[in-house]
Amino acid sequence: MAVGNVEIKDVTKIFRRSDEQETLTALDHINLSVAPGEFVSIVGASGCGKSTLLRIIAGLEKPTLGEAVCDGDVITGTSEKRGLVFQNHALFPWLTVWDNVLFGLKSTGRVSEKTDLAEQLLDQVGLTKFKKSYPNQLSGGMSQRVALARALATEPDVLLLDEPLGALDAFTRMNIQDALIDLWKTREKTMILITHDVDEAIYLSQRVIIMSPRPGRVIETLNIDLPYPRNRSDSNFTYYRNYILEKLDFAQKGGEIEYVI
Amino acid sequence: MAEIAGTLNVNISRKELRLLEQRDLTGRDKLIRRIVVFLPAVFVLLHILEHLYVPSFKSYKPSTAYVALLVAFLGALVIWDVFTFFSYEAFEKLRFKSALYVAIVIILTMYDVATIKVGLLALPYFPWIGKILDAMISDRSKLWECIYHSFKLLFTGYFCGVGIGLLCGILAGWSKTVHYWIQPITRVLGAIPSTTYMPIVMMLASSLFGGAAFIIGLGVWFPVTVSAMNGVQNVQKHYYEAAETLGTKRLGILSRVVIPASMPTIFTGLTQGMSIACLTLVVAEMMGVEAGLGWYINWQKGWGDFTKMYGAIILICLTFILVNSILGLIRKRVLRWQDGGI
Repeated sequence: MAVGNVEIKDVTKIFRRSDEQETLTALDHINLSVAPGEFVSIVGASGCGKSTLLRIIAGLEKPTLGEAVCDGDVITGTSEKRGLVFQNHALFPWLTVWDNVLFGLKSTGRVSEKTDLAEQLLDQVGLTKFKKSYPNQLSGGMSQRVALARALATEPDVLLLDEPLGALDAFTRMNIQDALIDLWKTREKTMILITHDVDEAIYLSQRVIIMSPRPGRVIETLNIDLPYPRNRSDSNFTYYRNYILEKLDFAQKGGEIEYVI
Repeated sequence: MAEIAGTLNVNISRKELRLLEQRDLTGRDKLIRRIVVFLPAVFVLLHILEHLYVPSFKSYKPSTAYVALLVAFLGALVIWDVFTFFSYEAFEKLRFKSALYVAIVIILTMYDVATIKVGLLALPYFPWIGKILDAMISDRSKLWECIYHSFKLLFTGYFCGVGIGLLCGILAGWSKTVHYWIQPITRVLGAIPSTTYMPIVMMLASSLFGGAAFIIGLGVWFPVTVSAMNGVQNVQKHYYEAAETLGTKRLGILSRVVIPASMPTIFTGLTQGMSIACLTLVVAEMMGVEAGLGWYINWQKGWGDFTKMYGAIILICLTFILVNSILGLIRKRVLRWQDGGI
């Protein structure tokens, strides 16, 4: 049976604000189902609770109401079965690239059997040459590639990506997007990506979840029916982009989109 | 130089790049740079000649040991000078150090003239360096014993303090309950120098060595505990989260994330602890312990043998410099991941 199924059942998350009497509803009755091996993106303006949702799936936060289920088990804490890639890569600066990639394997006592996999992953993200470097010596894009290899080395069923490319420049971002598709196709993991970049969501995922802020709600789920590799200037691509932007209330309403070049 | 830039374009070696960057240097500049590199050796030679051949005041005698030391220094400088013709790094390093070395040699020469040559600074309060060296050599077996004792006391105290300090600090940073009990102790003990308790400890302790080691350990314990506690408390949250999502359990997070992440802060405590340990060591040896360099200094002062006293002071300085540079090397090695940022 394929693994990597995630079910969000009626999840509500309310935060207590320390300075005030009020509470803040970050997520309001979210329902979501992600199939094994699926690539899903969640887009929305900041404050829509998309990161909170991802942290609930990772097991770093507990929902106030409802439950998150992974492969039939209610998520109560973190697990190496659900890898997480952070926006700021969160590599351990005191370990070399290679030791960072092996970190999870050492935690679960599988170093000896899985070194080959770690080598392969490092090769796949193109950083074999930098095996012995420290994270301080890498650029932002390279660090994020290492973070991807590190998260995949423990062979998680689900890979959670919390705006992993948010802090990178446009060219590096596009390179790593291709690397992500390559990893997804070869490793066959369920991928859930949080992003505020609409193009990125359309370029990468099979399904885009659009959320609205305060309180965080799912307003629409959109299937992207385009073959991989996708073309960013394709008319269908543009259609999806405009559609999503309109849903997010960013596109010009009414009339044609003007091109001023 | 222009043709190098024109023909080689971007694929140039480091040496060529250096030539290119120095293209504005005139022949005169280059000559001056060369001379600067040779100056320390010249000054050392002049100092040796001055010490040997300028007539001395009264019956004061130049010291063979001092001359030997200066000749060794001169030899090292000459070898270095030869190297500068082959290695650019050696050249630049000596050029940088040149002014400092010349200054040191000038001060040595001035002191030498003022003491042995003119007698402006007179014995017994101002022995010339050669005389101090001779005194150290003649009393070497006693001095070795003192160095051994000082080291033994310093390290016993320091490592006990570091061990207990790390244990307390890491646990206090990690667990709220431990923090509750450790925090008030650091508040009370931290404000008072541990040497304050010296008389009580010396009175109660069954052995002077044990008592002094305790005082040193207590002085070291405080900065190590506080730095370890701060280090652990300031470990960034995303390191914990990253480790957790990689399947790391609580103990693994402590040993593989929290401790390495706090190392930079811990090392500031270790360095601070070392200077406190050195200070406390000298005080303890001067006040009660009947061995070690501190005791030797006081003892010779009692006999009015200031030359030997100076000798021991020089030795104690060298010892502390050595110990601190070893600690610095260890720190550099452990925290090597901090260098080379982009």
